Amino acid sequence: MVNFTIDQIRAIMDKKANIRNMSVIAHVDHGKSTLTDSLVSKAGIIASSRAGETRFTDTRKDEQERCITIKSTAISLFYELHDNDTAFIKQGINGNGFLINLIDSPGHVDFSSEVTAALRVTDGALVVVDCVSGVCVQTETVLRQAIAERIKPVLMMNKMDRALLELQLEPERLYQTFQRIIESVNVIISTYGEDDGGPMGLIFIDPVIGTVGFGSGLHGWAFTLKQFAEKFIAKYAAKGDLTLTPEERCKKVEAMMKKLWGERFFDPETNKFTKTCSGSKNTVLSRTFVHLILDPIYKMFDAIMNFKKEEAAAMLEKLDIKLDTEDKDKEGKPLLKAVMRRWLPAGEALLQMIAIHLPSPVTAQKYRCELLYEGPGDDEAAMGIKNCDSAAPLMMYISKMVPTTDKGRFYAFGRVFSGTVSTGLKVRIMGPNYTPGKKEDLYTKQIQRTILMMGRYTEPIEDVPCGNIVGLVGVDQYLIKTGTITTFEAAHNMRVMKFSVSPVVRVAVEVKNPADLPKLVEGLKRLAKSDPMVQCIIEESGEHIVAGAGELHLEICLKDLEEDHACVPLKKSDPVVSYRETVSEESSIMCLSKSPNKHNRLFMKARPFPDGLAEDIEKGDVTPRQELKARARYLVDKYEWDAGEARKIWCFGPDGTGPNLLVDVTKGVQYLNEIKDSVVAGFQWASKEGVLCEENMRACRYDVHDVSLHTDAIHRGGGQIIPTARRVLYACQLTAEPRLMEPVYLVEIQCPEAVVGGIYGVLNRRRGHVFEECQVMGTPMFIVKAFLPVNESFGFTADLRSNTGGQAFPQCVFDHWQILPGDPKDATTKPFQVVADIRKRKGIKEGIPLLDNYLDKM
Amino acid sequence: MLYLVGLGLGDAKDITVKGLEVVRRCSRVYLEAYTSVLTVGKEALEEFYGRELILADRDLVELEAEEILKEADTSDVAFLVVGDPFGATTHSDLVLRAVHAGISYRVVHNASIMNAVGCCGLQLYSFGETVSIVFWDDDWKPESFYDKIKKNRSMGLHSLCLLDIKVKEQSIENLMRGRKVYEPPRFMSVSQAAGQLLEFTLPTRVVSTGLTEDTLCVGVARVGAEDQVIRTATLRQLGSCDLGPPLHSLVVTGRLHPLEVDMLRLSAAPDALAHLEVEDSSTS
Repeated sequence: MVNFTIDQIRAIMDKKANIRNMSVIAHVDHGKSTLTDSLVSKAGIIASSRAGETRFTDTRKDEQERCITIKSTAISLFYELHDNDTAFIKQGINGNGFLINLIDSPGHVDFSSEVTAALRVTDGALVVVDCVSGVCVQTETVLRQAIAERIKPVLMMNKMDRALLELQLEPERLYQTFQRIIESVNVIISTYGEDDGGPMGLIFIDPVIGTVGFGSGLHGWAFTLKQFAEKFIAKYAAKGDLTLTPEERCKKVEAMMKKLWGERFFDPETNKFTKTCSGSKNTVLSRTFVHLILDPIYKMFDAIMNFKKEEAAAMLEKLDIKLDTEDKDKEGKPLLKAVMRRWLPAGEALLQMIAIHLPSPVTAQKYRCELLYEGPGDDEAAMGIKNCDSAAPLMMYISKMVPTTDKGRFYAFGRVFSGTVSTGLKVRIMGPNYTPGKKEDLYTKQIQRTILMMGRYTEPIEDVPCGNIVGLVGVDQYLIKTGTITTFEAAHNMRVMKFSVSPVVRVAVEVKNPADLPKLVEGLKRLAKSDPMVQCIIEESGEHIVAGAGELHLEICLKDLEEDHACVPLKKSDPVVSYRETVSEESSIMCLSKSPNKHNRLFMKARPFPDGLAEDIEKGDVTPRQELKARARYLVDKYEWDAGEARKIWCFGPDGTGPNLLVDVTKGVQYLNEIKDSVVAGFQWASKEGVLCEENMRACRYDVHDVSLHTDAIHRGGGQIIPTARRVLYACQLTAEPRLMEPVYLVEIQCPEAVVGGIYGVLNRRRGHVFEECQVMGTPMFIVKAFLPVNESFGFTADLRSNTGGQAFPQCVFDHWQILPGDPKDATTKPFQVVADIRKRKGIKEGIPLLDNYLDKM
Repeated sequence: MLYLVGLGLGDAKDITVKGLEVVRRCSRVYLEAYTSVLTVGKEALEEFYGRELILADRDLVELEAEEILKEADTSDVAFLVVGDPFGATTHSDLVLRAVHAGISYRVVHNASIMNAVGCCGLQLYSFGETVSIVFWDDDWKPESFYDKIKKNRSMGLHSLCLLDIKVKEQSIENLMRGRKVYEPPRFMSVSQAAGQLLEFTLPTRVVSTGLTEDTLCVGVARVGAEDQVIRTATLRQLGSCDLGPPLHSLVVTGRLHPLEVDMLRLSAAPDALAHLEVEDSSTS
């Protein structure tokens, strides 16, 4: 732990080239928080009486109990790099001291939104992979997001102790395992990264350059090739009595690192490195990584765990490891831990890797600016971000809200990208719906206080310059979840975050005692603030709905709601999933609806999207804000749309951004633009509440074919056109073979081979199907991947455990929407039943409305 | 039998004798109350006609017309319309429905703003297409009426502008939620209409010989009532006038006949006609 006064910290904040903002990301249970603890105990700023307590970043009681991270937590570290090591840094630096703002994020897929929020405010990511389990589904999900946000990754191969002690892998097989994991990570990077690395340059991880660490977070030891290369160089240098300048040393170490990985072998007879595995005396050589790095570690493990005291003592001597007196009496695992910590301290290796290889805000903001800022690339705000200029106008992004000890109030947590934020500064607070020049979603207020957030503690600070992460007091009431804070009058918004998961599971909550209703409403508001993903909705019927990413996410949210936010006893319904409505054919007839005054007629048709377009819209490849021509070209090239029509997209929906399109295919209709807004409003309405059961529409294209209008504007106002547009859209949907879509999880299950059969049984009963099954190389574990409808996933985990003797662990992540086969109008099908249930739950009239309600005769 | 009865423009007494006979005879009498209003309310009418009236709002007429036509084949139903049944507002849909249902209908005509506007002195023969000027809001600013006024003027015709009436309108949000919550009634005044027209005369907007600030216009208010007002003035002058309570209408003049000019002088604001000969092309 490092003890600093606030003034000292504030001074470091100004050295922007020496700041590293990073997140720790990984699959659940791969050991992020434990690893983070070893960093914190080495370099955590602000010593505290609680130091030494485990899982420093898990601040909540339930996190400690369940041993999973639920909320992401920021913590600042201070690390001083040795003079010799500064030569390794390939970007600008300012002194030896580094301020590392680290965010520990949850690994469970249900909390991916927390990871998204963490990634936004960081520039680099420490990807932690359990070397026994390998790259898992959540590793891929978060890494993909990191790449998309232009976050540079470094890798930590964790849990080596398990590989050695439990699996007893041969050194060569362990090397193969490492190699395979590195390849899988690089495959993900190249799949989702830009061509040739884009403006970030190549970001592939490679042990040879030192972006891969190996070790055990639990035991507190880790190394990169750099550590071993240095030891060898030091040995040679000592022999030759050479004194090297840092630059010379750096070159030598880097050259040495290249020899320590891959198809390089060491011949102990000649003390030479070779590129072939046949030695001088026809012996089979082992590779350098195995011989020079793994072998000593294996020997140390063997000596200590098998109580070969003398051998161990000899090795300690040779390696010059001095133990404390209290450690000397230890045996077995505790001794092993103590020794390894002395020999290869995790904090040292990882902090070096972070300081050397992750970008500073100065470096990162140059290439991240275009992704972060919606406005023109050359206005004052953009230049401030690109140059990381603390004298430029303030630009700050609030990525999440953190509850304060004061019930109902929140710290707005975010990163300063440009300028300086200070207590009392008058700023513009812009929510996600703000558009420049308008007053909507905009507040001009003073910042009450700026604070430093350090794990579970906060410290007030006078001001914070760009490149740093900070909390604000007094902003929470003006923002719902996220927003932009600026002093620049003409500033546009910082781009909103794209979540990889969507809230597909929902429950209805009600108060046990009706008098508590106001508390519930207030509690829901607070809940919506405290979680980046959760949605709190009030249905037409008056039902209060909480929607989350999965069962666990909802469970945590509801618990928070009941215990912290509303503080009243609640009744919860069984979870249900959200559905989507879509169409499967083009409308069989041209649909016509007349306005109430019968003077206006709309002619439209619906048809399904080509495969992939809905996903493109959800991913943000096709957006309403896109430049019109670029979007049209994309649609023409990829989906063979008619070029003229592709330019005449009226809008996206629902909410102006959803995956449905309204397209104008009319020919020469006069004054069409006067009813456009009304038709658009009707479209937003109809795409938000489909005709089947008032669920959102998805993947539908509606074409306006013709309209005939009253000659006078007063007879074709919104009151006439909006309901008519909705009616004709419903008619379109009903005549285009409407279908229901259900959300589907990708499930990844790790288990021993013996229980694979049991998994198939459970999946089959739940309409799931397996599409991949493979053995984890070098382990007896199997990985089964399957698609499982979310609706069938409730209780799946428990079911799976009971059918496999508790040996199978599933991870479910939302993957895609899939049509629920069957015609919802046919009473014998499943969709019919689903529609009936939803209509009943929502309290709307039984049965899908008939076409006559919407279709008018000529 | 379905009777469509015009009520004229002023107050209760403007109904024709024939119309009054129909009203007193019918089993049900509906008063259409959303396209226009009289200067007096429903109660005054009931008192004068000596019978009860059923208020017919937009929903009833447009969505539940069957209700009005119920039993009209065996008994008599009257549908009262302010002005003339086939004047500014056409109730063709109701007539068509009645005919389809085998119900015969008869119309009792009355004065409408379409003809009563002649009171300002402009000849009805020289009017072009009638247009409505609707309330603009932030997102909806239809401009089609301007094109029509321009077209009329290019042919030397006057344009009668009916001004927007919003009675029992729902906001878009309430409409979507299906809530029967209505906005307070709003009536466009001559000054508001002139204000919207003036926007087309801004330097940035002028594309062709359309309107100018000095174009001669006539504002009329409560035509047919005791306190009717006629004000002849330039468009700019009308932009700041106050003609009192609703309803208002506006006429944009076309080519003027000398006799029309003489008539307009009666109601002209000071200086309104000053530019007539020299600058305004409408008199050429």
